[in-house]
Amino acid sequence: MTASLPRPLPASSRARTRRRLLLGLGALPLASVPAARAAVGGLPSNTGHADVSPEWELLRGRLFGTRPIAAGSGRVQLIAPLRAAYGASVPVKIVSQLAQTPALYVRRLHLLVDKNPSPLAATLELTPEVGQADFETRLRVDEYSHVRVVSELSNGELHMDSRYVKTSGGCSAPPNRDSPELIGRTIFKLPEPATMGAPSTADLTVLHPNDTGFELNNVTVMYIPSFFVRTIAVSYAGRKVFDADLDFSISENPSWRFRFVPHAPGELRAEVVDSKEHRYTGTLQVAVG
Amino acid sequence: MDMPLSLHRGLAGTIVAAALGLWLVAAHAAGVPPAYTPLVVEPTVSEGRSEFDLGPALARAQRENKRLYVYLGASDCPYCRRYENFLRKNADELVPHFRPWIVVDLRSTLATTANRLFIRTGDRSLDYTAFQHSIGDQRTRMLVYPSVWLFDPQLKPLMQMPAGTGTFETVEEQLEILNLVQ
Repeated sequence: MTASLPRPLPASSRARTRRRLLLGLGALPLASVPAARAAVGGLPSNTGHADVSPEWELLRGRLFGTRPIAAGSGRVQLIAPLRAAYGASVPVKIVSQLAQTPALYVRRLHLLVDKNPSPLAATLELTPEVGQADFETRLRVDEYSHVRVVSELSNGELHMDSRYVKTSGGCSAPPNRDSPELIGRTIFKLPEPATMGAPSTADLTVLHPNDTGFELNNVTVMYIPSFFVRTIAVSYAGRKVFDADLDFSISENPSWRFRFVPHAPGELRAEVVDSKEHRYTGTLQVAVG
Repeated sequence: MDMPLSLHRGLAGTIVAAALGLWLVAAHAAGVPPAYTPLVVEPTVSEGRSEFDLGPALARAQRENKRLYVYLGASDCPYCRRYENFLRKNADELVPHFRPWIVVDLRSTLATTANRLFIRTGDRSLDYTAFQHSIGDQRTRMLVYPSVWLFDPQLKPLMQMPAGTGTFETVEEQLEILNLVQ
């Protein structure tokens, strides 16, 4: 009898395992009804955008071991507001100062919120098909926290940028949950016509509550179980553009703006799986100008 | 031993007076502290809608060439009391920094939800969501008490503000807001 070697886990499973390890780092529950809470006065406000935090020191070790990470090298930039309109929906933009070529490209992007209970919000596995590794999404930020992006290049280099974000709330109603039949609708939009052979912009939205599991139902006084989009696989004309491994730190109705390079008319396709193993698909036929 | 009727009446009167006094104190406590010389705007209430008229505040801002610090609070909102208490406690330090601003104190209640709250500017009266859309404010999804808007004298927003005031309840952070640090 031969002993079989352990098979490597697929990327999404690896990320899930990593996430299990990371879960529990956060000290406070994620803003379940974010707008119904408020930051405690006197929280640190003189923190620099590039500062480290105890949570990041832990995360760094668990995610990247002792690999060097270049901070502020300019290879990757994170754009986020100091104060967002809502802590439950903080817009963030990742800008890569590197064209995606087969010789050197951004292979992976890690998006983290230091103080969230599940700090790893997203891991994106990219290919050169993305053209330009720029992404936009919306995050839940539970409390005053650094938001970070770590860009992993195909040559193994790690680059990081971070922003300090302040969030809190006030008195308001919880999110609307009146349309459960729409959960899973996966919608592509092109803000402008795609261009042949050049990075073209696309928006992807999955209608989904992305429940954190920390939210109290005000009527039943029970916690709403976590229920969130776990993975999205995006392809164009049958070729992978990127895979996203996600968490409930992504806002309700997860949305992503990304780039892809069309070489001919084809189909943009998103395969979505949520934490209850429900599968959804969204497609868009792209005519190239 | 039975109390004489007049004593009963006297006691009842004292209790009512005390309750009235407490209510008056509470009512006075709600709102931006007087040290900030707020322009208090009470709503016109009719058919279930509360309308706040920003016209006089805008006219004054244009006359005096000042910015508007518009505060929407609710009489029954604990987060509002907390912010107002913060302002009260730090008035000595903060009031001088508020001098370029006219503080406008819109006095609402938590029952005044987004579809019931109207803002009037001149001939136009818009509900909360439409008003936010009209000025390009991202806080359209839900009305949060308290809320603050920063406007120039032409009602142009000076900075995207967060929902609530919890991120500027320290002197340093309040100054960030007044200095439009984004």
